Amino acid sequence: MNLYQKIESKIMVLGDKLNNNVILMILRDAFMLAFPLTIFGSVMLVIANFPYLDALIGIDAVNALKDMLGPAATATMSIATIFVSLGIGYYTSRYKKVEPLFGAAIALVAFFLLTPFDMTTASGEVVTNVLSIERLGAKGMFIGMFASFGAAFLYAAIVKKNWIIKMPPSVPPAVAKSFAALLPALVTLTVFLILRLVFTFTPWENAHDFVYQIIQAPLTALGKGLPATILAILAIQLLWFFGLHGQIIVNSVLDPIWNTLSLENLNAFQVGEVLPNIVNKQFIETFTVGLGGTGMTLAVVIAILLFMKSRQLKEIGKLSAPAAIFNVNEPVIFGMPIVLNPVILIPWIVAPLVATFVAYFAMSSGLVPLTTGVAVPWTTPVFLSGMLATNSWQGGVLQLVQMAIVFVIWFPFLKALDLRNYKQESEEATNTQEF
Amino acid sequence: MKILLACSSGMSTSLLVNKMKEAATAQGKEMEIWAVGQHEVPTEMEKADVVLFGPQMRFLKSKFEDKSKELNVPIDVINIVAYGRCDGNAVLQQAHELLTNK
Repeated sequence: MNLYQKIESKIMVLGDKLNNNVILMILRDAFMLAFPLTIFGSVMLVIANFPYLDALIGIDAVNALKDMLGPAATATMSIATIFVSLGIGYYTSRYKKVEPLFGAAIALVAFFLLTPFDMTTASGEVVTNVLSIERLGAKGMFIGMFASFGAAFLYAAIVKKNWIIKMPPSVPPAVAKSFAALLPALVTLTVFLILRLVFTFTPWENAHDFVYQIIQAPLTALGKGLPATILAILAIQLLWFFGLHGQIIVNSVLDPIWNTLSLENLNAFQVGEVLPNIVNKQFIETFTVGLGGTGMTLAVVIAILLFMKSRQLKEIGKLSAPAAIFNVNEPVIFGMPIVLNPVILIPWIVAPLVATFVAYFAMSSGLVPLTTGVAVPWTTPVFLSGMLATNSWQGGVLQLVQMAIVFVIWFPFLKALDLRNYKQESEEATNTQEF
Repeated sequence: MKILLACSSGMSTSLLVNKMKEAATAQGKEMEIWAVGQHEVPTEMEKADVVLFGPQMRFLKSKFEDKSKELNVPIDVINIVAYGRCDGNAVLQQAHELLTNK
């Protein structure tokens, strides 16, 4: 156990660093702000794109429905960077203990200051004085994050320098507050206006295209690759093996990339184009960790309930089943236990990796449609979540196939554990269960 | 005694909440026990006598150490075995000991 303890203490440091890191914490909170809005947009999009709806009510009625419900997604997910930017400004300011609402506004304006106010139409015509929806969504996500963090931290630093304009006490507090925000805001926004100017002299002509091409595109390309995905799943499984919340730790780093990939799919889905990304937030949630919880243990719970004899496993099975249906599986992880259990380590690591491969290739080969980017809450039960995420029955079937794979890989190891427990239990038949 | 449980989103600890309430009722005690996600801990903590974290989020203890001293609300990580068994009695006992030793 000594080696375990050594590794455990190292991993604890990692968990502490990533979960409790200020930037990642603010980013997580900022994405949480966008989440309910995204769910609203998703629900409307799911209704508008219900499978076989055209056969039921006719193509004209479907198009009318799409026109009616479409703005719900456009006003939420398509411009998600605005909410993330506001969230970053708000939470950074709150953390720095300066007026959060001003900080949020400053962060958003800083993002706009780096955004081009013209766009080129498909026919090559340049339209001026517009904000392109595209730049406020997936494509502008990274520049939005950088600008908002930069502006919010700069703003807070200047406020703390106390360059604020002091008002006599007879001035109403609200007025004093708005003046207090004046100088730090002026300085911060001037910096971003100068930045905008600087970028006009570069080959990219604006900060958006620079960040997109140099940072966002390479990072998202890396993030949607199979190697990075496998590595992420492996890290999640290993962290849980040491009893630490794998997703919370790994997602803090990868969520910005996965969410951006989801938004890209969503934009394509909305206009009926080919979906670009196999891996994104929904792929991870519905086809990897969402199959009855981390490590896809719903299949394991079913195996226990159907085929295992030892009292200890049976009790864990009964205790875990109701939660596992909604993808919560801490009772399995800590009750079986999976944590630090060498017998379980192999299936615990191997099964999700194989199941992830299967999902990836089922999608890359075209057998199963890709996830549309529609947000599906991670507590949605298996089969339903697969169908909702891919807008197809194949998605649900894929989840069942994955569960069967997990079942088969786990079975011999579970049986070994069961036999050992069963022997112990019959030997200590007089004792009540003791851990 | 007011006991706050917390984990990543307050899902898995909420399983334990029911078991702890059952245990408390069996002991004839009136207790307020509830579970939240880590985002709500800073505000919810002010209403609690004691805060316990799910072991999978045990790095939250270091995150909230300062707040714990500030509010004089003791915090700890739920015993891993008790957590795995969803043992309401044991966790109740742990909360009680944490409060009396503060």
